Amino acid sequence: MGKITIADLEKIRESTKRTLNLRLGAGRAKITVHMGTCGIAAGARDILSAIMKEIEERKLIDVIVTNSGCAGLCSKEPMITVELVNQPAPVKYVDLTSAKIKKIFDSHIMNNEIVKEYAIAMGSEQTA
Amino acid sequence: MAYITYLMVCAGTGCVANQSMKIKETLIKELDKRGLSNEVSVVTTGCNGFCGVGPIMVVQPDGIFYQLLKASDIPYLVDEHFIKGRPVKKLMYIPDAKKPPIPKMSDIDFFKKQVLIALRNRGLIDPEKIEEYIAREGYSGLAKALTELKPDEVITEIKKSGLRGRGGGGFPTGIKWETMKKVPGDKRYVICNADEGDPGAFMDRSIIESDPHSVIEGMLIGAYAMGSSDGYVYIRNEYPIALERLLKAIGQAREYGLLGDNIFGTDFKFDIRVIRGAGAFVCGESTALMASIEGSPGEPRAKYVHTVEKGLFDCPTCLNNVETWANVPQIIMKGADWFTNIGTGDVTHDPWGGSKGTKVFSLTGKVVNTGLVEVPMGISLREIIFDIGGGIKDGKKIKTVQTGGPSGGFIPESMLDLPVDFDELTKVGSMMGSGGMIVADEDNCVVDMAKYFLNFTQEESCGKCVPCREGTKRMYDILENITVGKGTEEDLALLEDLSGMVVESSLCALGGSAPNPVITSLKYFRNEYLAHVRDKKCPAKACRQLNTYIIDEEICATLGHGCDVCTKSCPDYAIYGEPKKAHHIDQLKCHKCGACFDACNFKAIKIE
Amino acid sequence: MVTVNIDGKKVEVLEDTTILKAAELAGIWIPTMCFSELLEPYGVCRLCSVEVIRGKRSRIVTACNYPVREGLTVRTNSEKVKWIRKLIMELMYSRWPNVPVVKEMAVALGITESRFKSLEIDEAEDACILCGNCVNICRDVVKASVLAFEGIGIERKVVLPFNEKSDACINCGACAYVCPTGHIKIKSLEYERGALKDWHLGPKTAISIPTLQAVPRVPVIDKEACIKMQTEGCGICSTFCEPGAIKYDMQDEEIEIEVGQILITSGFQVMDLRQMPQYGYGRLDNVYSSLDFEHMLNSTGPTNGTIMCKDGSEPRAVAIVHCIGSRDENYHKYCSRVCCMYALKFAHLVKDRTPAEVYQFYIDMRAFGKGYEEFYKRLLDEGVNMIRGKVAEITEASQVNGNKPYLLVKCEDTLIGKFREIPVDMVILCPAIEPSADAEKIKKIFSISQSPDKFFLERHPKLDPVSTMTEGIFIAGCAQGPKDIPDSVAQASAAAARILSLISVGEVAVDPIKANVVQEYCSGCKICNNLCPYSAITFLEDKKVSDINEMLCKGCGTCVAACPASAISGKGFTDIQILAELEGLLTP
Repeated sequence: MGKITIADLEKIRESTKRTLNLRLGAGRAKITVHMGTCGIAAGARDILSAIMKEIEERKLIDVIVTNSGCAGLCSKEPMITVELVNQPAPVKYVDLTSAKIKKIFDSHIMNNEIVKEYAIAMGSEQTA
Repeated sequence: MAYITYLMVCAGTGCVANQSMKIKETLIKELDKRGLSNEVSVVTTGCNGFCGVGPIMVVQPDGIFYQLLKASDIPYLVDEHFIKGRPVKKLMYIPDAKKPPIPKMSDIDFFKKQVLIALRNRGLIDPEKIEEYIAREGYSGLAKALTELKPDEVITEIKKSGLRGRGGGGFPTGIKWETMKKVPGDKRYVICNADEGDPGAFMDRSIIESDPHSVIEGMLIGAYAMGSSDGYVYIRNEYPIALERLLKAIGQAREYGLLGDNIFGTDFKFDIRVIRGAGAFVCGESTALMASIEGSPGEPRAKYVHTVEKGLFDCPTCLNNVETWANVPQIIMKGADWFTNIGTGDVTHDPWGGSKGTKVFSLTGKVVNTGLVEVPMGISLREIIFDIGGGIKDGKKIKTVQTGGPSGGFIPESMLDLPVDFDELTKVGSMMGSGGMIVADEDNCVVDMAKYFLNFTQEESCGKCVPCREGTKRMYDILENITVGKGTEEDLALLEDLSGMVVESSLCALGGSAPNPVITSLKYFRNEYLAHVRDKKCPAKACRQLNTYIIDEEICATLGHGCDVCTKSCPDYAIYGEPKKAHHIDQLKCHKCGACFDACNFKAIKIE
Repeated sequence: MVTVNIDGKKVEVLEDTTILKAAELAGIWIPTMCFSELLEPYGVCRLCSVEVIRGKRSRIVTACNYPVREGLTVRTNSEKVKWIRKLIMELMYSRWPNVPVVKEMAVALGITESRFKSLEIDEAEDACILCGNCVNICRDVVKASVLAFEGIGIERKVVLPFNEKSDACINCGACAYVCPTGHIKIKSLEYERGALKDWHLGPKTAISIPTLQAVPRVPVIDKEACIKMQTEGCGICSTFCEPGAIKYDMQDEEIEIEVGQILITSGFQVMDLRQMPQYGYGRLDNVYSSLDFEHMLNSTGPTNGTIMCKDGSEPRAVAIVHCIGSRDENYHKYCSRVCCMYALKFAHLVKDRTPAEVYQFYIDMRAFGKGYEEFYKRLLDEGVNMIRGKVAEITEASQVNGNKPYLLVKCEDTLIGKFREIPVDMVILCPAIEPSADAEKIKKIFSISQSPDKFFLERHPKLDPVSTMTEGIFIAGCAQGPKDIPDSVAQASAAAARILSLISVGEVAVDPIKANVVQEYCSGCKICNNLCPYSAITFLEDKKVSDINEMLCKGCGTCVAACPASAISGKGFTDIQILAELEGLLTP
């Protein structure tokens, strides 16, 4: 790369924004893929790939994806939890497929409307 | 596919020394084995500051903080956390044996109270990638300065911010720049002093290791403001990692056209040369440092002309330390008002009126959490020691805190609510210095500590002027006498006399501040000195020559069963006793080395 | 000018004068131990600490380097200043209790005893007190940077690079000059025994009087060795020279003087003895030429006049060999005239100063001057061994039984008809006197002649030994032929008298016999131009004819005879007139 201009600074900044948001833990939405043994067996990895594909296609820079262990509802795997910054409680979606992921992105992540038919619950269980 | 998780492995000197690079390698290998290398990225960062628990790794975006890692922990950690999604509790920070581990970095007290300006990118970016620095608003300050501000406006902004030199003196940076700007002359230099010599202090090293571009950007802005096109960084060669990253960063900045001619398409040009120092403490002194750059022996010059008028190669020269430079881009970008919101006093009319911004301290000694902390000015010493530092180790009582490196002073427990501020610290006889902070508990003897610091300064004195060369040596000799029980009360008077004279008449700041530990310890802990010279006793039992070692017969016989470990440890063959029975020390033979005290596993040896 | 208040006294000084200088003007004494007029203030002894007062704030500064400003108030004797000085002095006194300057200063400041029981006492009276003057003068003034500080803190000391004598040292002695305690001494490099190859020239500073008997007796600067000429550094000599007589940019210059008469005294040179390798000059130790030996005898010479061998020992036997290159078919046939007598003088001095045996190897003893024969007789009485015979060879005898090596002089003693080998420790060769190397050049410049031995030819060996064939050119001394000092003086006096006699005349009558070019006949062939032994004929470029300068012409007639066009004739009578005169004379 040769000499850069002030405009180039901004370009570099944009292209690395996602990486840095991830590192800072700062984003508009956070998707947790439950990847316990049961989840992985039910295809959680495909779901994760589908999510990453959506993020990339939509060029989202403020969506954080993370994974966690079994949420307890092994029969309803694969399953994700979606948290939005301006929403009071996280939403859990169950029995997912790649097509469902697309829909969740279309309405929930992008337009803030919960896809009620896939959702099982809002909020998290209390921890002692 | 983009990564979903980042593992920020600390690659500061402290963690590298504890094998963090091996941990990184193992991580990559293990992740690869499990097919996770497309999802999880391993990033090396600069120092996090919490060096006491290194090697450190932070998992982002969750912010899980792992400490004291070993390569053997890695396979398990990868399995649990990244396959099964269960963070590993036993590798997390545990503040207290009774309390649960704290998974998140942001919840740990050590980090919670810190405010990061100079170290804002630590642990977040890879210091060897300029793009990551740029992504974190890097070089925006420079862009703003070059396009929106005139050089004088940059200086005004710095002046308004109340930024004061972080290297020790606390001279207002804005005034220094303004004076330099007024001096005529085409050739002018800006220098970054990265010759950090205080024992146990590593603020500057850490800044360069974790964010070298912030220093380069600061120097660029300063050079633009003062009309300089040549910069030097004087860095000690004992900092191989910092040196390597700095050179890499300069190379990247050159490649990007951020150093060189026509920066950002303007007429402004600037480049930096790196000079490696050989590690003489006195080379941190500005004139000695310049002499060293010029190729002469690193000795201070006796001149009453400021270096901003006649410095390096007799040209106007502005020297600031690493931390000062690293603050500059932030001030320019966010404005002086943002900066003045942090800190003490009022600097609107008088740059000497307060201390603004933050200061990085190297917190060491008898505190639970040792490491590098950046705190807002005005925070009390008590907060630093007890909230961030987690209090004193093993539940002991604090005796004193010594700030400002070997030339700083002791501050007694009663003054711990003192706000951290250039002028407040100076008022009580200590100083901000470059930011050393050594906490001592009741087991530390202030005479012994003062002797330690004096030994350091008298050995590092360049020997040029009489007061420093001869005076500090004699002071050390007197302290040595006191700690071995040969001191008299006249010695204390002589010590005070000498201290004053050395401060007043030394050629440079090394001699001018070297007696500070003695002066403050005599002032606040005179009783301890008196105990040494009158009663020939060390209240802290740290001066071994003043101790009498005796064996508690009961403990020795009942717990230790006359284990004989002490007998073997004694170089003087002063300990005798039959096996399985209590042992005794022949006081005539004992040379008070304390070896038996250290060797006894049953604490049967007592000091009287 | 600014006004400064020092201890209540007001002094007017130039701005930027140091407090120390200003105080001196005010007659106030400020102690100092590291200040030198020759150097930038170093400011390390801190004894000159004074209190500077500005408003309510006072500050301790060093007087030696603090520049004064208008209205500055200085106190040199406040309690604080006294306290600082005393303590500093106590520290110094504890380390160097026997150094006179330290003791004196201690007394001056009221210190008689130090409270510091120092472990680093240097008891020496000339101990180094680390003032740095030597290091600074060597670096800043001499620009040789030979001396430097080593070590830090209490370990600091002045050293030479690797603690060895450095080649960069020019022996200027500046360091010793500025040393306040005498720790640095100039060791006279008198004949460092065997250490210096060309000892007879001896080590010299860049600026010196060539020899003690030099005329004029003024110092000269050796451009090759002078630091100023080489590096633009130093220049210290000019700071010492009060009349300002030292000018570094002086150039050699050529001066043209118009004169009527010239006395040539271009002297002689001695033969290069290396031409005769059998005598070992320049190859064997302790084989000297007479001039080398003369140098050694000189009381201001490298050995202070002591006769010694190269290893410093006294010679046990000395051989003096005459006629090296003189009276020799292969070199010079003539006798050099002076050797016999100075050889006798040498023998006398060797006898006088050492108990050594002296051997004279001669062909014939030529002691012909006034009192010379008597001196020769006296020498015989002194027990000098006279061996008549030409030395064939000088060799080095190797070391035998631990004895030191010696020289063997091999010759035939013609008086007893035996071949002899004489062991000696020292040989002095008496080389031939030769015309100076540039005699040929001088001859051409002045149009004078040389005799076959290449000495300049006088007009008449008996009747006119001081003038030459060229009018107004005179010769004297060894330029004319080998001779001793009395003869040289006599001849030179005679020449001077001749010159004076012409000057006092005012007008000179010139011989009327001249040659003349008839321009109409001259073809401009220039044959005559080069033939004229007096360079009297020049070629006129505009007229394309030759012309004779009548003042230079001696009327020798060479050109007249040589002119192919018969265009040159002698002045006065034409050929026809002379023939007519002859006819008249011969007609009865």
